[in-house]
Amino acid sequence: MFRSSIDFGSPLPIYRQLIHLVKLEILSGRLEQGDQLPPIRELAKSLKLNPNTVAKAYYTLEAEGFVESRRGSGNWVNYKPGNLDELRKGMVEDEWKGFLERAVSLGASSKHILDIVNRDLNNE
Amino acid sequence: MSEDIINVSGLEVKIGKKTILDGIEVGFSSGECVLIAGANGAGKSTFLKCLTGVVLPDKGDVRYTGGIGPEKIGFISDQLSLFENFTVMQGIDFHTRVFGIENFDTSLIDDLRFDPAQKIKHLSAGERTLFNLSLVWSQQPQVLLIDEIIHVIDPFLRDKFLEAVIDLMDRCNTTVFMVNHTFSEIEKIPERVLVMADGRFIVDENTDVLARSLKKVISRAELPSDCPVIFYQQYAAEREYFIYPCNPELVERHPYEYLPVDLTEIVKTFIGGQYAKKRME
Repeated sequence: MFRSSIDFGSPLPIYRQLIHLVKLEILSGRLEQGDQLPPIRELAKSLKLNPNTVAKAYYTLEAEGFVESRRGSGNWVNYKPGNLDELRKGMVEDEWKGFLERAVSLGASSKHILDIVNRDLNNE
Repeated sequence: MSEDIINVSGLEVKIGKKTILDGIEVGFSSGECVLIAGANGAGKSTFLKCLTGVVLPDKGDVRYTGGIGPEKIGFISDQLSLFENFTVMQGIDFHTRVFGIENFDTSLIDDLRFDPAQKIKHLSAGERTLFNLSLVWSQQPQVLLIDEIIHVIDPFLRDKFLEAVIDLMDRCNTTVFMVNHTFSEIEKIPERVLVMADGRFIVDENTDVLARSLKKVISRAELPSDCPVIFYQQYAAEREYFIYPCNPELVERHPYEYLPVDLTEIVKTFIGGQYAKKRME
């Protein structure tokens, strides 16, 4: 159902990884405003997760303002337009921090990193 | 989590002079999924059999609350005898009568295209397992015990099997116990891990907590003595050290690279630690 998989060995707990996957689906436009999320039971079966974990991810998405749960009919994508811009900013920053950590652990200097960024942004 | 639906107190089982279960105290709540791991002979299967009532303890007891009787407890094991000389049809008929099941749901075995006249003893290991699960499934069990069975079935049936278990957990809020030696397929399902050694539980912890606090460090030099190393393995010049519990304070004091582990390594750490302890004795 989702494009990436969930990794037990990741530093993020499984429900957090699932939240991340749903947010990626929303940001990429594969899940649109008003779409229904996969039912808890079906998603748990397809990813071989504990249904409680999926439920926890869905409540958290609701509390964070991305999902609306309707009693008896499941969970639906529902966010305020401003939330999406903030989400995008946050996720891009997380990706960037991850890149920086890996680059530094490979021994890259600040100048080297800046050069790469400038070169590739200018080529776009 | 809700209140405990299973209470185990002072559970002791002896076979001859050998103590198999040594005074176990533990409780389980409704809808929980529990993994029970441990070395061969640690007492895992005996513990499951006590939960089903197949083995009666020498001391202590297993108490169920909420009106859970034998018809709500399902047990799946490769050692289970399933009325071998019955045909598939006779097996279903017998099981549904014993447990008062009105609608036998065949959806788990429909794909397998059983000949209803085939004898149960002639089914393959995978077919038997799915057949056994379909019997138990129709009971809508409140408690499901799965004893070392997942690794004997092929990947297609394993998927069907796990999906059926997940379905029960969601639909009936079934409490599930898995006894296993291989974990990759199931590692994201259990929320609690119990590790057994010498008839007792030496670990009883939430899976997320274990994943966060058990780490691996690879080093050529020996680790300082204040690092809680449970177990290590030597590979050429390096050792892989498994550390538990690992917390931010430890990471700050000894800034190694603390690597994440999977469920197989978590369990191996505790079992390996036990073997290492025995070698020292």
